[in-house]
Amino acid sequence: MEPEQPSPDTAHDSLHEEPHLPPPTLWPVGFAIGIVVVLVGLIINPVLISSIGGAIAIVFAFLWARDATTELRGEAIVVEPERRELKEAGEGRTAPPADQQGVALPRVAETAVTRSRFLEGATLGLGGVIGGLITVPVAGFALLPSFLGQKQHKVDMGPVSDYAPGQWYVATFIVDPAEGEVSKRAAFLRNNGNGPNGEPSFTIISNRCTHLGCPTQPNGPSGQQFTGVATVKERTANGPLQLLPVIPAGYGCPCHGSQFDVEGNRTAGPAVRALDRYEFEIDHGRLVLLSTYSVSKVVGTGAAAKIYKYKETGPGEHVDGPEDWLYPLQPPHH
Amino acid sequence: MAATVPKEKPSRVDEARAGFAKYKADVKKRGKPFYPYAMFHDTIMSLVVVVVIIALAAIWKWSAWAPLHDPTHKGILGPLVDPPANPGTTSFVPRPDWYFYFLFYLLRIFKWPESVFLGTVGIPTICLILLIMLPFMDRRRTRRISQRPVAMVAAVLVVLSMAVLTWKGATANEALASEVVQNIPKWVKDEHLPKAAIPGVNLFARAGCTACHNYDGVGGGGLLGAPDLTNIASRHLGIATQIKHLMNPGSVTPGSPMPSFASLGTSRLKQLAIFLEASKGTK
Amino acid sequence: MALRRPPTKAELRRQQIEELVLYPLDWLEERSGLVGGVRYFLFRNVPSDINWMQTLGSAALTAFLVQAITGVILAMYYVPSAATDPHTGQPVAYESILHITDNLTMGWLVRGMHRWGASVFIILMFLHMGRVFLFGAYKYPRELNWVIGVLILVMGMMEGFTGYLLPWDQTAYWATVVGINLNGTAPFLGPWLAQFLRGGQEISGATLTRFYSLHMLVIPGAIFALIGLHLYLVIRLGVTSPPWSKEAAGMEEVDADSNGAGRVGLTQPVPRSAGGRD
Repeated sequence: MEPEQPSPDTAHDSLHEEPHLPPPTLWPVGFAIGIVVVLVGLIINPVLISSIGGAIAIVFAFLWARDATTELRGEAIVVEPERRELKEAGEGRTAPPADQQGVALPRVAETAVTRSRFLEGATLGLGGVIGGLITVPVAGFALLPSFLGQKQHKVDMGPVSDYAPGQWYVATFIVDPAEGEVSKRAAFLRNNGNGPNGEPSFTIISNRCTHLGCPTQPNGPSGQQFTGVATVKERTANGPLQLLPVIPAGYGCPCHGSQFDVEGNRTAGPAVRALDRYEFEIDHGRLVLLSTYSVSKVVGTGAAAKIYKYKETGPGEHVDGPEDWLYPLQPPHH
Repeated sequence: MAATVPKEKPSRVDEARAGFAKYKADVKKRGKPFYPYAMFHDTIMSLVVVVVIIALAAIWKWSAWAPLHDPTHKGILGPLVDPPANPGTTSFVPRPDWYFYFLFYLLRIFKWPESVFLGTVGIPTICLILLIMLPFMDRRRTRRISQRPVAMVAAVLVVLSMAVLTWKGATANEALASEVVQNIPKWVKDEHLPKAAIPGVNLFARAGCTACHNYDGVGGGGLLGAPDLTNIASRHLGIATQIKHLMNPGSVTPGSPMPSFASLGTSRLKQLAIFLEASKGTK
Repeated sequence: MALRRPPTKAELRRQQIEELVLYPLDWLEERSGLVGGVRYFLFRNVPSDINWMQTLGSAALTAFLVQAITGVILAMYYVPSAATDPHTGQPVAYESILHITDNLTMGWLVRGMHRWGASVFIILMFLHMGRVFLFGAYKYPRELNWVIGVLILVMGMMEGFTGYLLPWDQTAYWATVVGINLNGTAPFLGPWLAQFLRGGQEISGATLTRFYSLHMLVIPGAIFALIGLHLYLVIRLGVTSPPWSKEAAGMEEVDADSNGAGRVGLTQPVPRSAGGRD
């Protein structure tokens, strides 16, 4: 398209035939900047900055007006046509590529790293890096916190004197006061008196069924009406604690029908092992629960019981027998 | 039509493609526009769906709340609210949402510890794989029902078994102590229990006996072979035998899986025995 | 050449209205091409003998949209926190559900629709799957569509499972304990998967927020994408006629030997010389 070259005598004709283009000019940009500086100066520092802005605006306005009125003043408008430089096309050309002076340039070898190949590689490589930068921390955040930092808890269960020797209790307690009610648990507890080596012995059985974790129930009457022993309710450092006396003949699970005997051994149903137990210690005359451990079976009762202990395992996972190999690696527990 | 077999029989894939091309041509020639014909049917059905959902929500609210203005009241569709989560409970019966009942009952079927993973992940995974692989296992082109006997038999079996498993899952119960005690007045009336049997029936409801035994329509359905005790007195076992059995079930019924209830103490065992010997059945 | 009479006033008016309506559509079509797509979707041909059973798919879609909309509204008031409110002693999530049910206008309706809509959605998906199976509409060329459909079914049930925990009541808590431990019994990776789902060794507040994220963002995103693919394939490949239809689209021509009833094999044995037919 030819550059516009209007002259004063064709101005009227061009109004009807072609759109009347103003002469090209860049000065309006500077003018706009000057106005902006004036307005900003009004906020920040009217005397200094607005005056500078005003000066800029006036100068550029003058230059703009001069350009805009070239036509009226009769000077010719010079418009630079767009020129596109010939660029090298690489290997595709049949004729050898030449630079602007027409000097032939050497052909690029087939196996060399051409621009397109480099860009391909760089795109994929950088894309991979970006993907990694985003995914790795995010995946780490999504996956790792579930497995790291599992805390061990100590649960204050009140003074040992609360527990009448030989009496079973259903104890409900809060494991982690910071978590609150969410960490409430129940256990079947009995004070066995003193063990064979004179140390206090407690049987503390977790009530979570070892099939799929449902809450097992004692098969027997509970409460003062039937047992003659008072229910104990107190507050310890861990939160509210309740000891409900019970006379169990065993424990049963309401979900899929597993049954356990009083020591927690499985007697019927799909449970894969005996009920889990809690480690404990006596601290200044108070019973303190430590971590849970899994049990395959218990031989004997009370203080003389022989407990076959294993590391804490999830419900439904075997700890011994041929199916133990199905669960070789346990996630980190406390 | 084809009396002679063509020299080069078209491959299965080619036949399928030709069939599909014919289908496309047929639809183009003889089909109806989706809008408004098919879309009208779709709209009616969608309206039905939305009305049903709203109706269910309304019935849930009004049947649970309206009688007593208490959202914990159990209406036709259950209570509006359940008690808040209590991880330390020993009296709750967990159940999944109803559309998982068939999987839930599968877990009750596999009650041998060695087989647990079959019921939990084995069978559901296999079924899912079969479902996904269906179009790759059944490659025959015919869609006519009369010409797909294997598919129809499989479909009927699957639907029936899922329905049965779902229903069994819905009706499975373990007879929780707190619910069982509500039956005591009914039992006393039905069995005409004398006053001397009352301490025994109170113990019976709380001791977890109905986890396995049935009594007057309530109980674990004979789990592990536990006999129905509704008219156990008609066996004339006598108080002494009852007490002996409760203390050591294996001594009266060899091989019995019933645990010992000796921990209840002799006086309570006697109360239970009196109750059992008074259970002459509902007449 | 016969002269056409000039258009009447009514016809002119109609022409003007048409132009007015078509102008924005044409503007949009020229710049995006979308209107053409919608037009194809609406006015494409479907077989003339389609059955009412074939509305189950769109019914399932409606149920899903009901769930999405009610879910979005519920999300504005539900609080996914297992912490205990010190004033009432109840979990905060549980209380937000009580608040929605009791205090908010029509809150009981939105909550009820969402809860029962889930069951309706799953029922309709199963019915739709059964209908597709009955019609043999999983065969060539619709195999991919079947696979996508099964994935949508699985996602739908996972959505139900994750959503079940959110009220944080007894049923919710214990059903989730069992569900997660169920995953834990899978050989080798089971315990790791279970611990990841739980967000730790025990179910806690982290489990609730995790399930909320799955229920609100991950699984619905997957379902929307899969449904989009599923619908695209349905539109592209077309819907089948019922298999028992006498005028099914694409039906094979009736074999002359089988006296026009179209039944071969069991009742009308085909002479060996007639060649094979499915």
